[in-house]
Amino acid sequence: MEIYERKILAVDDNKEILQMIETILKENGFRQIFLAEDAKAAMECFLTVQPDLVILDIMLPGEDGFSLFGRMRRKTNVPILFLSAKDEDEDRLFGLGLGADDYMTKPFLPEELVLRISAILKRTYHFLDEAEYREKSFFVGIREILPERALVRSGTEEIPLTAKELLLLEKLNQNRGRIVTFDSLCNAVWGDSYYGYENTLMVHIRHLREKIEEDPSHPRWLLTARGLGYRLEKG
Amino acid sequence: MMKSLFRIIRRYSLTVGVIILIILVSNGCLLTGIGYYVSKQEASERFSKISVSTMELIGDEFSERKDGNQMPLPYVLSEKGMEILEDSEFIWAMALDREGKAVWQWKLPPEIPVQYSIQDVAAFSRWYLADYPVRVLVSGELLLVFGCDPGLIFRHSLVISEPLVEFLAIYGKAAVFINLLVILLFVLGFGCRFYRSMKPIAQGIEDLAAQKPVHLKERGAVGELAGKLNEASELLLSQNKALARRDFARTEWIAGVSHDIRTPLSLIMGYSDRLARDPSLQNGNRLLAENIRRQSLIIRQLIADLNLTSKLAYQAQPLKKTRCLLVALLRSAISDIYNEELEQGGEYEFEIMMKEEMEQVWVQADEGLLMRALRNLLGNSIKHNPAGCQITVSLTRQEDCLSCFVQDTGPGIPEEVVQNMAKPDSRVHIMGLCLTDQIARAHDGSLEFQKRAEGNYDAMLLIRESL
Repeated sequence: MEIYERKILAVDDNKEILQMIETILKENGFRQIFLAEDAKAAMECFLTVQPDLVILDIMLPGEDGFSLFGRMRRKTNVPILFLSAKDEDEDRLFGLGLGADDYMTKPFLPEELVLRISAILKRTYHFLDEAEYREKSFFVGIREILPERALVRSGTEEIPLTAKELLLLEKLNQNRGRIVTFDSLCNAVWGDSYYGYENTLMVHIRHLREKIEEDPSHPRWLLTARGLGYRLEKG
Repeated sequence: MMKSLFRIIRRYSLTVGVIILIILVSNGCLLTGIGYYVSKQEASERFSKISVSTMELIGDEFSERKDGNQMPLPYVLSEKGMEILEDSEFIWAMALDREGKAVWQWKLPPEIPVQYSIQDVAAFSRWYLADYPVRVLVSGELLLVFGCDPGLIFRHSLVISEPLVEFLAIYGKAAVFINLLVILLFVLGFGCRFYRSMKPIAQGIEDLAAQKPVHLKERGAVGELAGKLNEASELLLSQNKALARRDFARTEWIAGVSHDIRTPLSLIMGYSDRLARDPSLQNGNRLLAENIRRQSLIIRQLIADLNLTSKLAYQAQPLKKTRCLLVALLRSAISDIYNEELEQGGEYEFEIMMKEEMEQVWVQADEGLLMRALRNLLGNSIKHNPAGCQITVSLTRQEDCLSCFVQDTGPGIPEEVVQNMAKPDSRVHIMGLCLTDQIARAHDGSLEFQKRAEGNYDAMLLIRESL
């Protein structure tokens, strides 16, 4: 089942917010959206519709979102995302501590909500697909990177990647288009701080460039952010 | 506190010792002074003229009459003896022979007999003779008897048993020692009592200073003091409670208001975002929507800042401190700015200036908050240089602090902003910097400003190094 077919229940005491959530989700391809304004309606809808994901406000009239969360979780293990106007760290930690799949604070950008919902749905219902997705190849220019085989494929030529090079490339690809600091890279690859790895990191980057760049001395994809880190340019 | 109480008691004991010493010394001085004064008196001079030596001098001048004439008296006093006698303070005199018969006399009052038995002699030699105090001296065959002015001397005969004398001789020395010991014991005893009664008071004051509740027993000599301390403690606690309540109310109020703003702001952000992406909208209108969206993002940031600033101001923000590498945080903050804020262009260039050793300096910090402080500082440079600028961050060690000095090629921070930092009422306009300052102070650090040659300022974040 495609994620867009999934049933989403949104619970918020503000009718306008509910309408906006519905609009946003529908515009982004989600087709089955259910709305509830209070705990009672939410529970009824929850039992009859059996949604695949619940967006839950915390401040509700009568019963609060945390308690409603508990009641829902006792029925099924459906993923729940808290969407609250409370931005206290304690609330966030409490919500996540209860076992919520995510915690978002208002105000939010529509894109953010869609991305998070998609991520939760993929994680929950497409676990196998997700694993595949994670392992799926990606392109750097005309070159295809095949992580599960640790290879760079360029036309018919196949160049092997070392384990460290692959870790580096994956970390950069996860944050594609963004600068990843030396510190995060070293932490991801060696589990250590940057100090002492300056040259090692540079050598690995040079080797990577030799494998993925047309002209390694004038890189087009794996760019240096001077003094900060590296960035893998978006394709 | 207990130490200082002990010091008070020690000083009290010492003072008592000094007082005793002063009294002893002053008494000694007074006695010496009186003795000296008395010796300078006329009476004292007169007293010296009835001494044994005077009597002996007179005794030496007696002689039997050579002429054998027994009448009126058989003994005579020489001229010289007479002179001494006249000069002395004796008012009468006589000489008795072995039979108790007056063999010589001078100015003898009529009531004084001229014949004495042994019993009479024994009596007057130790006592008075017809109310005259007398002094006697054996000189050759004669017993010289001198009468004195009853106003000049007081005669008293003392008889003490020998064991008593011995006892007194020993006791005399011991008495001083025993007295001193008793005084010392009393001083220590009272000191201890004083210490014991003051101890709860001292403890109370200590607790008061530490803002702990004080409940002392209001009994004994210091009962009233204890009562006052209890009152002061209650007052202090209730004031603290009121202050905390007010701070809490204010923080809660700000949290409540920002909470209430969040829901409508969600709608503004959501719909403006939708409009900005709506292809059916005219280009100009889409730009307007985009503008609303951008402004609502700024409001979101302001609300978050306002909330954080009020929580930091009233210590309602728990810090989750961990050990982190300062330079890693700095690189991460700059990268975030590149990744998130600088998508829409502007020519900004960041540079970190530091010695290699600064790669390894750690701080004990709430990572999120410190990142925010750094981003605020860097963001300040960006906000005030929309056309772009070069930003240099210098990391250095300054004594026991690490300094993060942010300089840009723009105009710098104006004087008024730096002046306003100290005034809490004008902070809204410079909330970013104020927040950075608060975060720095929450980490035992500070935000300082360095004046440029042209007059404006650059900001410097100081934070304690964690070794």
